[in-house]
Amino acid sequence: MQDQIPVTVLTGFLGAGKTTLLNRILTENHGRKFAVIINEFGETGIDNDLVTQADEEVFEMNNGCICCTVRGDLIRIIGGLMKRKGLDGILIETTGLADPAPVAQTFYVDADVAARTRLDAILTVADAVNLATHLDESHEAAEQIAFADIVLLNKTDLVDAGALAAVEARLRAINPTAKIIRTARCDVDLDQVLGLKAFELDRILEIEPDFMEGDHAHEHDDGVTSISLHSDVPMNPDAFQKWFSTLLRTQGQDLLRSKGIIDMAGEDERYVIQGVHMLMDGNHMGPWPEGKKRETKLVFIGRNLEAMNLREGFEACKAA
Amino acid sequence: MTILDPVQRETDPTAIEAVGRYFICDAVPTGLVAVGDTVVAGFGDGQIRIFRPDLPMQEVPAHGGAVLCLARHGASVLTGGDDGRVLLVDIAGNITELAAYGGRWVDCVAAAKNGTWAASVGKTAHVCDSEGRTHALDHPSTVGGMAFDRRGERLAVAHYGGVTIWTRGRRDWKASTLKWAGSHGAVTWSPDNRFIVTSMQENALHGWRLRDKADMRMSGYPTKVKSIDWVGKNPHLASSGAQEAICWPFDGANGPMGQRPLMLCHDGDALATAVVGLPGHDALLTGFENGVVLFSELDPIADPRVIKRRSGAAVTHLMVTPDAGWMLAAAEDGLVLWAPLGRAG
Repeated sequence: MQDQIPVTVLTGFLGAGKTTLLNRILTENHGRKFAVIINEFGETGIDNDLVTQADEEVFEMNNGCICCTVRGDLIRIIGGLMKRKGLDGILIETTGLADPAPVAQTFYVDADVAARTRLDAILTVADAVNLATHLDESHEAAEQIAFADIVLLNKTDLVDAGALAAVEARLRAINPTAKIIRTARCDVDLDQVLGLKAFELDRILEIEPDFMEGDHAHEHDDGVTSISLHSDVPMNPDAFQKWFSTLLRTQGQDLLRSKGIIDMAGEDERYVIQGVHMLMDGNHMGPWPEGKKRETKLVFIGRNLEAMNLREGFEACKAA
Repeated sequence: MTILDPVQRETDPTAIEAVGRYFICDAVPTGLVAVGDTVVAGFGDGQIRIFRPDLPMQEVPAHGGAVLCLARHGASVLTGGDDGRVLLVDIAGNITELAAYGGRWVDCVAAAKNGTWAASVGKTAHVCDSEGRTHALDHPSTVGGMAFDRRGERLAVAHYGGVTIWTRGRRDWKASTLKWAGSHGAVTWSPDNRFIVTSMQENALHGWRLRDKADMRMSGYPTKVKSIDWVGKNPHLASSGAQEAICWPFDGANGPMGQRPLMLCHDGDALATAVVGLPGHDALLTGFENGVVLFSELDPIADPRVIKRRSGAAVTHLMVTPDAGWMLAAAEDGLVLWAPLGRAG
């Protein structure tokens, strides 16, 4: 079995700095070989035989599940790229308006893509100057922030400290778990944005320190919000699995990202989950570290969260 | 024999391996075409490798990037690459460029006996007839597969949502559609031109009877169907994607509708990854994910024979020459077995 090639999804609005970052990745002497899938050749202005153009073809799967829409063009292009040897990674650029969900889902739903590649991280380039306007004017901007594992907050040299703090607060309100990296001209060490394994369950454990502080829900006018749930009382495994699977099945369309570490009553190991829409990865990830408190932490990022009675559902799963 | 699994090195070569040759090509195979007693193979390193009886393998640099697709075109082979070019490669390795589409991938090629050929770039199938007239045929989504019928009068183009059948008119090509939800890839005509079958992005084949556009669902595969081929005088469509070669009968008026497929050849729980019929025989070769290739008659009580032992990677492509004299098996890691079938007895 060949190694799975890491894939980074690069989102962000026009002008935020995606092209600058792509050009750096393609031209810098880092000794690695990346294939880049872009939307428009003209925009990037790069000529490289490892750059290919996508068509944003969204395919629905025959099971009729809206959460299983995939990007047919990516399936085709990745299939083609897998015919070459020696690729170290793939970057997929999406336009400001493209829904990142079908891109992420492609890596779960299509068996060939899942076998050959793994989603490494969703990287959103945001522009410190214009992000607030983008968030006010379009729901796509909020969704791109919501999906992100990393937000590259670019052009920070063009705003003052107060404005920067306000923008970061807005980012945090939408996505409490993403890593925020401040840059001026996308001048970030590439190891900070590539090869992160952000979708692997053990990484969910690693980001625990700044996962969240206690219970709080964020309200926001973007329509995309987050809710963090916490319990010191173990969860009843049956009740939790039932609640969680029903939630994904019925509300998966509105749940953009979810991440959590669950303390299951009667189980010695931590149960870790992470997902995109209704596609969920969950597993036991080893015993609780010695001397560390057993507790359950769960974060949902999505739309219409208030209507899902998440807190009530969560509370009802606590073991008596 | 260091190329085989340690366990397999202990076992004797099969009769076919004993008379054949192994080649280690450091590239991913992308397609095979047989012309006479020659097999032309495309690879992901852009090379065409040509295998002839009793001659060394010939390597021909063809495409920049990968060879994405191949089709037989008369006594030569049509290839498309991710450099946007369509090439004609003869069996001596001479290359002629037929078309170039400016850096966009040529995903599929097809050719008809009457000299018409087609190449797809994105949503467009470019068709060129034997007199050099070209037409650009557009589709609602990217072309997943193309095939001409046996007379070259119709071109089936698979895409998201179904298949478009283009029929050659006096001046133009006329479209009719076969609809079925989902994404369709490789497409094939039954030998009698009465049925069309596609392999889908889902774990299924889908077929249509052209007379009335009746749908035929061929599902139940545990994985995607990557390889299909017509086998036998009473044609069966053999397919990979399960633990056996699944062979759907197309010998009656209704095709496989209401019939069960034959399930031939299995090697433990290994998935079948490639199939090919032996031209002129009711028999087929089946390749597996563990590198094994088995031979079987098209008969559920036949005893399969081992053609190739286990090796490191899945057999993704199989080809048998038109006289059933030679076979080629190509595995994902670039290991190729090229062997005469007849001499093994």
